Amino acid sequence: MLLKTSLRSFFAHKGRMMLSLMAIVLSVAFVSGTLVFSNTATGTFDKLFATTASDISVQPQQDKVTKGSSEPGKLATVPLATAQKIAALPGVKTAVGEVFTPNATLVNPATDKQVGPTSGAPTITGNWVDTPRNSLEITSGHVPQGPGQIVLDADTAKKAGLGLGSALRVITDSGSYDFAISGIATFKTTNPGAALAFVDTATAQRTLLGSNAYTSVEVYGDGSRSNDQLKADALSALGSGYLVKTAQEQKADNAKGVGSFLDFMKYAMLGFAGISLLVGGFLIINTFSMLVAQRTREIGLLRAIGGSRRQVNRSVLVEALILGVLGSTLGLGAGLGLAVLLIQLMKAVGMNLAGASLEIGWSVPVAAYAVGIVITVLAAWIPARRAGRISPMAALRDHGTPAEARANRIRAVVGLVLTLGGAALLLAAASATKAATGGAYLGYGVVLSLIGFVVLGPLLATTVVRLLGAALPKLFGPSGRLAQRNAMRNPRRTGATAAALMIGLALVTGASVFTSSMVSSTSSQIDKSVGADYIVTSNRALLTPAMVTAAKSTAGLAHLTEQKSLPVILTTPDGATTETSVAAVSPTFTTDFLLPVKTGTAESVNTGGISVDETFAAKHHLSVGDKLAIEYSHGRKQSLAIGLITAKGNSLFDGNFFTAIDTVGKAVPASELPSDVAVFGKAADGTDKGKAQALSALQDSLKAYPQLTVKDQAGYKAIIQGQVNSLLYMIYGLLGLAIVVAVLGVVNTLALSVVERTREIGLLRAIGLSRRQLRRMIRLESVVIAVFGALLGTGLGLAWGITAQRVLSGQGLAILTIPTGTIVVILLASALVGLLAALFPAFRAGRMNVLAAIATD
Amino acid sequence: MTTAATAVQDPQLPGDQPVTAASARQVTKAYGAGETRVTALDAVDVDIQRGRFTAIMGPSGSGKSTLMHCLAGLDTVSEGRIWIGDTEITGLKDKQLTRLRRDKIGFIFQAFNLLPTLNALENITLPMDIAGRRPDAAWLDQVVTTVGLADRLKHRPTQLSGGQQQRVAVARALAARPEIIFGDEPTGNLDSRSGAEVLTFLRRSVDELGQTMVMVTHDPVAASYADRVLFLADGVIVDEMHAPTADSVLERMRRFDGKRTS
Repeated sequence: MLLKTSLRSFFAHKGRMMLSLMAIVLSVAFVSGTLVFSNTATGTFDKLFATTASDISVQPQQDKVTKGSSEPGKLATVPLATAQKIAALPGVKTAVGEVFTPNATLVNPATDKQVGPTSGAPTITGNWVDTPRNSLEITSGHVPQGPGQIVLDADTAKKAGLGLGSALRVITDSGSYDFAISGIATFKTTNPGAALAFVDTATAQRTLLGSNAYTSVEVYGDGSRSNDQLKADALSALGSGYLVKTAQEQKADNAKGVGSFLDFMKYAMLGFAGISLLVGGFLIINTFSMLVAQRTREIGLLRAIGGSRRQVNRSVLVEALILGVLGSTLGLGAGLGLAVLLIQLMKAVGMNLAGASLEIGWSVPVAAYAVGIVITVLAAWIPARRAGRISPMAALRDHGTPAEARANRIRAVVGLVLTLGGAALLLAAASATKAATGGAYLGYGVVLSLIGFVVLGPLLATTVVRLLGAALPKLFGPSGRLAQRNAMRNPRRTGATAAALMIGLALVTGASVFTSSMVSSTSSQIDKSVGADYIVTSNRALLTPAMVTAAKSTAGLAHLTEQKSLPVILTTPDGATTETSVAAVSPTFTTDFLLPVKTGTAESVNTGGISVDETFAAKHHLSVGDKLAIEYSHGRKQSLAIGLITAKGNSLFDGNFFTAIDTVGKAVPASELPSDVAVFGKAADGTDKGKAQALSALQDSLKAYPQLTVKDQAGYKAIIQGQVNSLLYMIYGLLGLAIVVAVLGVVNTLALSVVERTREIGLLRAIGLSRRQLRRMIRLESVVIAVFGALLGTGLGLAWGITAQRVLSGQGLAILTIPTGTIVVILLASALVGLLAALFPAFRAGRMNVLAAIATD
Repeated sequence: MTTAATAVQDPQLPGDQPVTAASARQVTKAYGAGETRVTALDAVDVDIQRGRFTAIMGPSGSGKSTLMHCLAGLDTVSEGRIWIGDTEITGLKDKQLTRLRRDKIGFIFQAFNLLPTLNALENITLPMDIAGRRPDAAWLDQVVTTVGLADRLKHRPTQLSGGQQQRVAVARALAARPEIIFGDEPTGNLDSRSGAEVLTFLRRSVDELGQTMVMVTHDPVAASYADRVLFLADGVIVDEMHAPTADSVLERMRRFDGKRTS
């Protein structure tokens, strides 16, 4: 019986449910869209790897120190003799020697522009081989033959505007090699986003390896033996020193690589979903609270004729359930659309999944309905309980506006305790000596203060809105006064509406305080400690010797400092081992960088010593003169005395171990020394003009290497700023959504308030309030609510951001910068948000028929 | 009552000393069209005398509320013309109508007369606030004293009794010194004692303050406070009565019911 009531009531109020529905649809769409997308992507890659993996792959044993990742220098290889031995094994149909490296750079010599992705996805160069399971096929031209021909994948060629016959340069550690494109290869299934270039095997060995060997041997069986048997045979025939992987194992490895990128996407998207859910929850609470308030008399009647509390309670929850089911269903559909959109987006950044069919799986609808229904019913719980408490007397009482909700004392106490607890934790975090404990306090403090503010919101609404609105009557006359009173008449509602906006803005403000402090701190560190005028880095692998030579030959440079990075395992005197890398530098490094000395001397780095940072020294109880046992790759070992402990708090040096290239050279032969990760230059002429001239000369001599960036200090700072900004944009994107949902919340509250106050509006219009004044009244109320939310949000965000800076002040975030511009923009924008949110409700109120409004029951 | 021998008179022309505060000529109000057309007012002519208390009576559905809404500029007419003072309001745009209501007309509704967010005094001065006019302090004082609310001015409507709320509404209608006040069953929601109180104030405002008052009611006792009663049936003015008493009105209504049912 009550189910029927719920259903009727739901459809009678469907207009009022619209915005709540939108919030649910949005959240569910993000959840299901993300899942569909990642299912599809994972499925596609699984298929790709499954169809292309060889039966077994024989690779050189990985070095203990380098773990095979980002090989510093030379690639480990499988000798030709081994390949022949593998081919002779029983059950092997073919054994194909492959040469592949991710370290080569492709350049279009006509424009000196880099070909292929400049960040993220790899560029892989290797030999063209025919295997039974090629992932690409030549779609125009022919396979590369001889030293001058190269094949490029179709997507990369298209993007770079290259075709058959175009010139393509390959830059490797050993030099630059020019080719002409002889063929274009297309992925048979899916392009995972990488750029691929192929030359013939002899050329690959000569240019990429510098030796007659392979980087791996791919084995295809004749079907007489299982892959596990083949693997066992290979292992016993080859002995140690090789890594043999079955198709299954290769697939798992590859999936892991792609998976980490997809996981990042997935978590970012689920973050969106989480925020929209959180904010949507507030919207639902508000909607149901208002519906219950409007139906007080009706519910009283139900109770009077014998409906139990539980039945009333349940009838509200059933309405929520209907809303949840409807929202989830629509959200699921929208999610599929979103997944298609994401796939298109991925195509734009190079990962082509277009041919793939959407993989939905059972988990997507389950997650969508679970999320949509649980959040709706949870959010409706509080209003439902309130509905259950309505006494039968309510049916008899005179019908007027719903009773003004009074913020109660319990709320005040709980809210204050939470907020004070949060504040105490933030203070504790700010004064914590250890960053780790400070971080933990900060985390709890953020959560606690947020909940505290949400609980306190209605109480704050009364006081803050009174202050905020105090000027309104003066500025806007009767509309202003009515708006101020209206914003204050239901503090719980105002509080909940503003809370949605508050959450988003608190995160934006906190993040922008954090990032602007990061930029200014790093900039000041660069000013303080960088003496070098120029910094040259590569966006691909390393700087080859040829590049370093070219840089060195530049006129107008006083000197050029090289820095190499060697993966090592450090053993400290306390017996602990640390996997890290050592920064090996030229002697001029100490003039290019002012190393912050805690104890010891910076000069010791150049005279056979090694530096450690303060935190590391404290952790392992190290002091100057202690010896570190160092193991480089290929088992080269060395023991170095600590000559310098660098003071902490400078992100340029923290976590680094500096020593001289010459010192490393005593243990590591030149052939195993990696290329440079960066070079630093200083102008001979220290004037601004001299520096500028030397900069353009340096850029000129490195013109042939587009993968390099040559920056002066200002440019370097701009890069850091840019990196920080891209982080910030992501946060802004995330929060833009939160704000959209929050705006929906304000629209929702106002629209429902307008409906609720129909008679009041009719009365006002009857006694002479003009449409314009009426609309202004609603707009002002909206602005007051929005600005109230923004004030709480920015206040909270400032507290968080400042605390975060204090926590990390020892970790390189020494300078607090409060982005006042951003905050002012946020506050102004929130006022604008208020105006926008009021457009529709104000329009509706203005359109109301005066007579009908007065006559409304 | 000397000039009101008939319900129909020529409308006042601008420049003349106005005797009528509002008048309607051949006012027709119809809803729908064709076969479903319902006529609420059928070519009604009426004049409301200045400084008099006029009551409009009639059974449910007679069109009495519609007539008042049209006279007050709350509703539009299908045909005919209406004047408030010397302003013709038929054909006015919403903006001008709103101004007219604000500046020249006072309203007392049956219920929900006051804004819950404003206190009694703020409610009383609201029409003047909306117009951006300062209330005349002496006049406001007099009105507030007349309706006996001097000690309740800071109370919110929820803190006042029903009778007190209606008195605030009366004070609001009086405070702006409108040309005419319309009451839509102003005592419909009150017990007889509070109702009598409010009606006494309305009567006094006409006698002592010279206010023009039009009241729609179905209560013969309420109608007996008026100077003149108009009887409406099926959208037509069928009768009028001067210096009514509750008994004479009741008697007339009975007759009228009898005629209707016969």
